[in-house]
Amino acid sequence: MNSPFPFGFPGPTAFYLTLYLVTFLIHALFMNYVLAGSSVLAVGAVLRRDTGPISALLRDWLPFMLSMAITAGVAPLLFIQILFREQFYTANLLLFHRWMSILPVLMIGFYLCYLLKSKMVRDWPLIARVAVGCGPFLCFGFVGWSWVENHLLSVQSAETWQRQYEAGTLVFRSAELIPRLALWFVAAFPTLALLLGWQLHVTQKEDDGWERADAARRVAIMGLAGLVLMAIAAGIYVGLMEATSRDAVLGPIAAPYFVVWMIGATAQGAVWALTLKSGRLGTRSLAIATAGLTAAFFGMAVVREATRLGRLDLESLYAKHEQATRVGGFWLFLFFLVVNGAIIAYSVRLSLTARRPDADEPEGETMPDEAKPEAGASS
Amino acid sequence: MDLPPYYPINDFGPAMKGIVIGGLGIFHVFLAMFAIGGGMLLCYFEWLGQTGRCPGAKKFVDGYFKAVVLVSFIVGAITGVAMWFTSIQVSPRTIGFMVHEFHWIWAIEWTFFSLEISSGYLFYRYGPKLTDVARLRLLATYAIASWFSLFWINGILSWQLTPGSWGDIGADTHSVWGGFFNAGFFPSLIFRTITAMTVASLAAMVIINLMPLDRAGKTDLINKSAHLLAPMIAMPVLGAWWTATMPADARATLFANIVMLMFLGMAVGSSVLIGLYAYFGLIRQRMYINGPTATLLTVLAFVATAGGEFVREGVRKPFTARAGLYSTSFTQVELDRLRQVGCVTNDPYPLQNADAYPSDQLRLGAKVFRFHCSVCHTYDGANAVLHLAGSWTPDQQRLNIAQLQRTKTFMPPFGGTPEELEALVQLIRWKSDGSPEAWPVSDDEATLAQIQAWLDEVGTRPGIELIHGGGAAEGGH
Ligand code: HEC
Ligand code: HEM
Repeated sequence: MNSPFPFGFPGPTAFYLTLYLVTFLIHALFMNYVLAGSSVLAVGAVLRRDTGPISALLRDWLPFMLSMAITAGVAPLLFIQILFREQFYTANLLLFHRWMSILPVLMIGFYLCYLLKSKMVRDWPLIARVAVGCGPFLCFGFVGWSWVENHLLSVQSAETWQRQYEAGTLVFRSAELIPRLALWFVAAFPTLALLLGWQLHVTQKEDDGWERADAARRVAIMGLAGLVLMAIAAGIYVGLMEATSRDAVLGPIAAPYFVVWMIGATAQGAVWALTLKSGRLGTRSLAIATAGLTAAFFGMAVVREATRLGRLDLESLYAKHEQATRVGGFWLFLFFLVVNGAIIAYSVRLSLTARRPDADEPEGETMPDEAKPEAGASS
Repeated sequence: MDLPPYYPINDFGPAMKGIVIGGLGIFHVFLAMFAIGGGMLLCYFEWLGQTGRCPGAKKFVDGYFKAVVLVSFIVGAITGVAMWFTSIQVSPRTIGFMVHEFHWIWAIEWTFFSLEISSGYLFYRYGPKLTDVARLRLLATYAIASWFSLFWINGILSWQLTPGSWGDIGADTHSVWGGFFNAGFFPSLIFRTITAMTVASLAAMVIINLMPLDRAGKTDLINKSAHLLAPMIAMPVLGAWWTATMPADARATLFANIVMLMFLGMAVGSSVLIGLYAYFGLIRQRMYINGPTATLLTVLAFVATAGGEFVREGVRKPFTARAGLYSTSFTQVELDRLRQVGCVTNDPYPLQNADAYPSDQLRLGAKVFRFHCSVCHTYDGANAVLHLAGSWTPDQQRLNIAQLQRTKTFMPPFGGTPEELEALVQLIRWKSDGSPEAWPVSDDEATLAQIQAWLDEVGTRPGIELIHGGGAAEGGH
């Protein structure tokens, strides 16, 4: 643990950790859109300002993004069971009903998203519209909170687990819970801003300049505010976290990634500042912001992982990881990952190009960029 | 060493854990079947529509697909995650073990799941605007991907009952593919495929009835979707094939146990009814079928699925994986060890309501029950120990628990010390007596010696071996 990740770990552990991190990032990409996006819609519903292009895009894409967040969540769910089986299972068991409740809540949130998208709701009384507008965010916020709580419980000592079980409370209170959740929440906005930026860019038409400039500026504000708040929240969280975690985060294993995270965030910040001035979303600036987000994501993921690695007795897990590598099937997995990834890419292309001649051309909806994260879901 | 890992065990109240996982399983399987069969049905209808064989087909395809997305993508996907979470709640050791052994299979399945969701959404969103060729390609991708997710998961599920050449749990190396393509793989794969077609076809009839079409149009669509019911004819043969691949003792449990027979009856009876209606009504007479009848048939298919899933859960007992993991989450080697050191001596989790018991002996008994019985029994809810054994004499209780695998072959051997067993017996007596404030401690040497003698007499091998001869724990046959 004295060299940067993934060095300093035995091969099998580094291998599964990397797979876990990469798949987790795909989950985080969609999850960020869902979490931050649903909060934007909730605010819009309360303030009754939900008519602009951003709200329309969010309403249109939220169900799909949620589906992707869930689908992409399955892969890290698999690898976490190889890496930290006892920790993950124990936390699940201790939270019991409270943990299982995320599933019906997800389902309710999902249907509310579809409801929000339907025309029917527009004629409902105000109070019902506000309720439907806030519902998805309440649901997904609860799910996010639950994942954070489960995560924090999973890295506790055996004694804490036993006390928790004995008390039978099904709720885990930790001083880290709120700052960690807050960090996740505000950090979701730069991601949302970028994805929305692409969506707006692609659907942009010649004749709606003023409205688009306004939307571009809003996206830029989302991105900038998210970045600033993220820096503040991260600072608070590092101050409050348990000492062993802090040592790991600031120590050799994660420090280089901290720097990568900062650089990525700065690049995004620069792009959003320019966008705020110009009111324009260009391909080049979006590409730079994308590179920035990618770097920030990888940096953030490793730093996040360090908070866990710092606390566990990792050496006791090495043997399990080594055993797992002796199980067959990896090459076939790799094969299907490539093949199915290619078929997904092909299907996206097909859907965009093989239009019937009589089909009206590109709707008010978006496209090519949504295709991208989709293909990403399994590659 | 050789001790099982200890997890915090939850109390499910009056519900038996098997019912919880079984109940959710049925729901999930049914939805998955709807999605998988739906893929095939849609391809068929799209082809019918494009080749002019059925004019209303295309409209139906778009309508039916909406139902697939709204029901199956949401509830299906989430109940899938729920299956995983529930398995963790019921038996973390079992799911952890399966994940360890088959994680690449699951990872492969995930690539197909991603393909299924992506192609599905693309069709949902862009289908109406695409050329015929593109539509058919997307639908075929969707259908193939969803069928393959069945293919992969089926190997793991059938391995639980028939581990095949995967080998024994204690062995150093295992053959993943030997376990995957086990004896039960093909019969259950084909069986499930046909079930999927059946469910999709019946659900289609419900949906067709909801569509704004005239009577003739509906009848045409209904008769076309009935074509997917035709393969049901092969079900009896496949069922027989599947039972033939089962370990002999599991088959014996299936046919000798009244509850199992009831579930089997549910599955077979409902399927026969659907089959008869399909053959005479829909395929031979080309009849119309109205909404309520179609719904009734779909409910019957659900009942059949339920019966089938409970049979699948039930015949594995006393194992969750026949390769050597008992339902109580210990292996044979660990069981032998627990007989010497005690099953809860090393359990670090305290009781949640320790003060409710008047003595340490009863507290010990409660821990033994939690570790050793609670996965299949409750105190006085479903499959209640107090109802089953509460009225027995103390010695009947001692003997029958000491020789648990002989009492019922689908229970594992008792893996604990005589002191633990006596504590469990006292707990059952105390509870049957209405949990009085005071309860004498029972530590008579002669009683403990008698329990030890009974334990030694029956040994630590599974009960199915007492009837069917050696080797059952290694996976039967
Ligand atoms: C693998 C699941 C399983 C486990 C573990 C298990 N049982 Fe059972 N047990 C059953 C089933 C199923 C029955 C049958 C109930 C019936 O016939 O209605 C049963 C029946 C019984 C009976 C009644 C037997 C009879 O002849 O009527 C007793 C007593 C009993 N169990 C006690 C226990 C005790 C004590 C433990 C824990 C040490 C235990 N069981 C563990 C599944 C299990
Ligand atoms: C809208 C729904 C969801 C939201 C808002 C959400 C949010 C989150 C958050 C905030 C975390 C980080 C926890 C932390 O670092 O403390 C997380 C982690 C994770 N999520 Fe999700 N999630 C959602 C749905 C899902 C689903 C459905 C799955 C599974 C299929 C899933 C799988 C995971 C996994 C495996 C982790 C890593 C946990 C860990 O490392 O401890 N998520 N999620």
